[in-house]
Amino acid sequence: MKQKSWHINRREFIRGGGAVLALPLLQGMSWGKAAAGKALPKRMVVSYIAYGVYEPKTKDGSHHDWNWWPCKDAGPLTFNQSATPFAPLKNSVSYLRGLDHAGGLGMGGHSSGDVFATGANMSGTEKTNNISVDQLAAKVNGHQTRYASLVLGTEGGTGAYGSAKTLSHYGPGRPIPSMHRPQEIFNRLFNPYAGKGIEQVRADLKREASVLDLMMEDSRRLQSRLGKEDQQKMEEYLDSIRALEKRVERTSQWTHQPLPNVDTKGLNLEVSHKDPEEYTRCMYDLLYLAFQTDSTRFATLMLESEQSSGSEMWNYANYVLGYKGATHDIAHKRPTESGKWDNWRAKQHAYFLERLRNTPEGDSNMLDQTAVVWGSAHPHASHSTKNYPIQVAGGNALGFKHGNLHSFEGEKKVPLANLFVSMLNAVDTPTKKFADSTGEMTEIRP
Amino acid sequence: MLNPKFLKFFLSVATLPLLILLGVGEVNAGTSFKKDVAPFFEAYCVKCHGPDKSKGKISLHTLDGDLAAGRELERWEDILEMLESGEMPPEDEAQPNEAERMIIADWINRGLHDYVKKASKVAVATTTRRLTNFEYQNTMRDLLGFELELTKDLPIDPDKPYHFNNTAQMMMIGPDQLVRYKEAARKAMASAIVDLGKPKIHRFSSKWEHGKSGKGGLSQAEIGVYQGPGVGRKTVGLKSWPQTGEFRIRVKASGNFPPGFKEVPLRLVMGTSLRHDSGAGIYQEVGTVHLRNTSDNPEEFEFRGRIENIPVQPASKHRNKILPPSITITAQNIFDNGELNDHRKSGFDASWSVQAPRVILESLEFEAPVAEVWPPEHHTRILFESPLRNTKTGEYAYEVIKRFMTRAFRRPVAKDEVDHFYRIYKIYDAEFDTLEQAMRETLAMVLISPQFLYHAVIDDAAATKQYVLASRLSYFLWGSMPDKELFDLAASGKLNDPAVIETQTRRLLADKRAVGFVENFTSQWLSIAKMKTVNINRDLFPRFLYTVHLGERRGQEQLFRPTIRDYMHEETVGFVGELIRNNASVMNIVDSSFAYLNEPLAVHYGVGGVEGLKLRAVPIKPGHRLGGLLTQGSVLVGNSTGSAPHPIYRAVWLREAILGDKVKPPPAEVPALSDSVGDSADEAVSIKNLLALHRNKESCYDCHVRLDPWGIPFERYSAIGKYQPLVPKDKVRVRGFNHKADKTFADYQAYLKSIYTEEVDATSRVPHGPAVDGMMKLKKYLLKERKDEIAENVIRRLMTYSIGRELTYRDRFEVKKLLKLAEEDGYKLQDMIVSVCQSSIFTGTKSKEE
Repeated sequence: MKQKSWHINRREFIRGGGAVLALPLLQGMSWGKAAAGKALPKRMVVSYIAYGVYEPKTKDGSHHDWNWWPCKDAGPLTFNQSATPFAPLKNSVSYLRGLDHAGGLGMGGHSSGDVFATGANMSGTEKTNNISVDQLAAKVNGHQTRYASLVLGTEGGTGAYGSAKTLSHYGPGRPIPSMHRPQEIFNRLFNPYAGKGIEQVRADLKREASVLDLMMEDSRRLQSRLGKEDQQKMEEYLDSIRALEKRVERTSQWTHQPLPNVDTKGLNLEVSHKDPEEYTRCMYDLLYLAFQTDSTRFATLMLESEQSSGSEMWNYANYVLGYKGATHDIAHKRPTESGKWDNWRAKQHAYFLERLRNTPEGDSNMLDQTAVVWGSAHPHASHSTKNYPIQVAGGNALGFKHGNLHSFEGEKKVPLANLFVSMLNAVDTPTKKFADSTGEMTEIRP
Repeated sequence: MLNPKFLKFFLSVATLPLLILLGVGEVNAGTSFKKDVAPFFEAYCVKCHGPDKSKGKISLHTLDGDLAAGRELERWEDILEMLESGEMPPEDEAQPNEAERMIIADWINRGLHDYVKKASKVAVATTTRRLTNFEYQNTMRDLLGFELELTKDLPIDPDKPYHFNNTAQMMMIGPDQLVRYKEAARKAMASAIVDLGKPKIHRFSSKWEHGKSGKGGLSQAEIGVYQGPGVGRKTVGLKSWPQTGEFRIRVKASGNFPPGFKEVPLRLVMGTSLRHDSGAGIYQEVGTVHLRNTSDNPEEFEFRGRIENIPVQPASKHRNKILPPSITITAQNIFDNGELNDHRKSGFDASWSVQAPRVILESLEFEAPVAEVWPPEHHTRILFESPLRNTKTGEYAYEVIKRFMTRAFRRPVAKDEVDHFYRIYKIYDAEFDTLEQAMRETLAMVLISPQFLYHAVIDDAAATKQYVLASRLSYFLWGSMPDKELFDLAASGKLNDPAVIETQTRRLLADKRAVGFVENFTSQWLSIAKMKTVNINRDLFPRFLYTVHLGERRGQEQLFRPTIRDYMHEETVGFVGELIRNNASVMNIVDSSFAYLNEPLAVHYGVGGVEGLKLRAVPIKPGHRLGGLLTQGSVLVGNSTGSAPHPIYRAVWLREAILGDKVKPPPAEVPALSDSVGDSADEAVSIKNLLALHRNKESCYDCHVRLDPWGIPFERYSAIGKYQPLVPKDKVRVRGFNHKADKTFADYQAYLKSIYTEEVDATSRVPHGPAVDGMMKLKKYLLKERKDEIAENVIRRLMTYSIGRELTYRDRFEVKKLLKLAEEDGYKLQDMIVSVCQSSIFTGTKSKEE
């Protein structure tokens, strides 16, 4: 197979770790000016913060400095203390107020995170969760990269009903376990053959394909012997085998493409939850590197999950702010700790957005080619499941218009899923309806 | 409005349709939808459930009344249940008289029955479902012959409060899950099939001298209950261990008992080093011994486990030094008399380490792999000894695969199935040098095949059905594959005999594998898992959890030891287990003459004379205010806020778990309790008043008027599950416990006295029932008027769990039959389980009455 010019670019030395990374080096391997006429990648990220955000009111009716929302009224953005980190990104971010998933309403404040990226009606008509927005895009366009999607979290796995540890779902009832160990993520992305020679890898894949083939045959035979209802049930197993076959096929094809040579220098892959800032940035860096090397274009990142009492996330606020109590509790306290906590989270997210923006791509930069949602599935201390805090960033080159706070409150109410429809269409995944959507969100993507 | 007599009469009427069903008599054959049913709905229901309003999203005016057409029968069953229970119409609406009600209920009941009879051949709901993680883990254990932790990396089963996680519809498999299954299967086979040739044995030992004095007034060999910011311990670091295999640890230990103490528990855990200061560390429990011998008579104790299950501390860099991977064995003194937090300024402190009994640990020896025979039994179970192995390797491999598949698929396998996996074997055989390697890969594929991963009924042949039944029994009562006896019975075709089912059910329940069933079933049925994550207000309840009193985790719960909440979980599971074991009446779940306790629990509840950590049945008196499930910590803590009782959670629990009602979650438009009554979070408004305010909202009223009364009688039981008849005064914000001001135990009690000053009001009138004041009266009422509902609920729960699907109107008549049997039998729980296993729903045969 003939190599495309951009693949050669990918082979250039890439270094991880934001601080260490020098710009000139980056330019050497970025997407050249519409390199060889090839279209630039269109990407999507959904990231999640838990326990809602701080939304205090002031007595005199002015906007509170520690309110998560950067300004009080709909219109052009100004940035209060909480949202300061996004001030330099003004023309790349929008805030959307008044959005939520109808499907999460009945789930209770700490459970609606399950459906943040899916909009599934789990408390009503659907018994299980459903396909997430990133996976729908991956289904259509995932074949263009080595990995169809990247599913990250900070606790790993799938979590249980009502306390998901992943945002991504392959389809009804089929959550995709998130990866949370930086070293493991790095290896899966950039060292997938685990040191084996390419010939050995191909031989292994060929064998795996033959075995899967036989498994498929056997399962089909079993299916034909089942009752009608049960045949349908077995279909999901066959579907999984088929998906694995496709993965093997795809991995084989990609063995003909050189792996990007990514150095771990500057990346602390052994970082622990004890250092929340370094850990969070490491996750963002890995995501950045995956995009940078065009290893994938669709990703979710569950920065925090609800009900994390079993993990170190529970102590994050303690490590970051010296707050004496569980991270969850901070959401229920009035004073500025909550605002400072939001501000810390904003800093980390802004760090990621800025890395994307500082990386040239085509005529603009990576951020312009990447639509990023950042938010939570409940607004504030009372665990309500309405009016999520939602920020959308990037994707300017994909048709997004930023710089404003939009209100969808009251009569202007539309489902959050409308945003997903717009995002899907922006990444070449033609979509008319997603979950309970009623149309596109023309306010930010005319 | 209230008329208990009427209710009682009505309840007896409600059993009439059952009599009809059993052929006792025919009544009201002339009832018709048009003439009777539709006008009844018009008169009593349509006002709220009709074209204008459809409360609870239910409307009746569109029902067409032709039950024989088989449409909307679930709705008809719901209506029937409302009429039977008398829950609808609500008390403040016009009520039909008993005769009217009976006519309608009977008409629906007969319509349903006729349809079920006629349509019983039509395929029922999906029954094919994958193994739950619980079943997967147990099946692997019994298939391989040793316990390997395999489900850690599998996606968690979809848990839903008050539902079982084995419901067929929800049990799905996606590609990522399949990948994880494959990893687990390969891991299992890597352990099960060993490489030939004697392995290298890894040994390590440590000694401590009891004669020499050590730190803090203890000897060098002694472990006190407390050390630094955590539980007292001794550690041994392992530098080398095999990749796979069984390990053995031998310890020489005894106890040092201050006057008044007779027993001290020694627990061994293994994993990373446990950092009590920062809270980091993961471990696997190896075992616990309860020492009663003294140092003049040290005894040797042996622990065993699989090395694969032990978390390893990965290699790390420390000041330019590379530290290799390691495993730490931690020996702990987990003594707990329930009072370690008492009489202390904050948390429990070092003085306990001399005042409480100590473990004397003189030596510890580690050895792995244990190789009394090599290759081990679990290897030869798969790669059995045979001369064929070297002469006709192909034939041998075929037989190996066939034997393994037969056990893995829980039934005899067809030739084409074996041929198929033999072909897979040939692919691997070409690639690998040894039979062991090729067989590991091949059998791993057997373990990701749908025949292994799913419960599936492949055809209707009588021979297959016997094996299906064998699996049903074993997965119900063990959560695992059938054993040899069940297989043999299935092979001989005797298993569907009701007498054989009875013998087998009782045998399975008596086996230690049934412990897993009781635990899994009970915790899901009663939805008690959430109890462990309720955030306990340590300002109000400073002595409930053992807290760390120094260091960076000061004030937080002590880690790495069993806690009172673990014991509460065991209490509930053990209680239900005790009822099954003794074939006691299921009504014990409402009230009983015993509690299931150990010392910390007994101290918590105020029951005297219970010593040691082992839980057991303890006789109780009315003055203890215990008995049954309703007053158990797991229920009360799980359904509290951590600061206060939560009567709504408790009401929902009672109705769902005990009475078997389905309580709908609050609709989305309804504000939360505190929002609807204004900014009350900072002031303590008595919960009764809070609820009253909440009910004033029209949107909340309809549901809460039927819900709240069930939770109010729990009000004398605190957020930590203790009897506590006093509460803070209305509209007063209580001060938190202050360990500087409230130093001693007496100060603590004075503190409690100062905040809990008002008699709590625990009186409410249950819907369609009498006024009930407190727990005792509530229990009395339930046992007097609600026995049938309680028994039917337990039958339905057992049935649902046993077949892995929700019950529908089709199952109604079989359930009623079992209820009748149970009633005649005095509601004995073990008998109830037997009758579930004999039922037509479980065995998949048709009931005789149909």
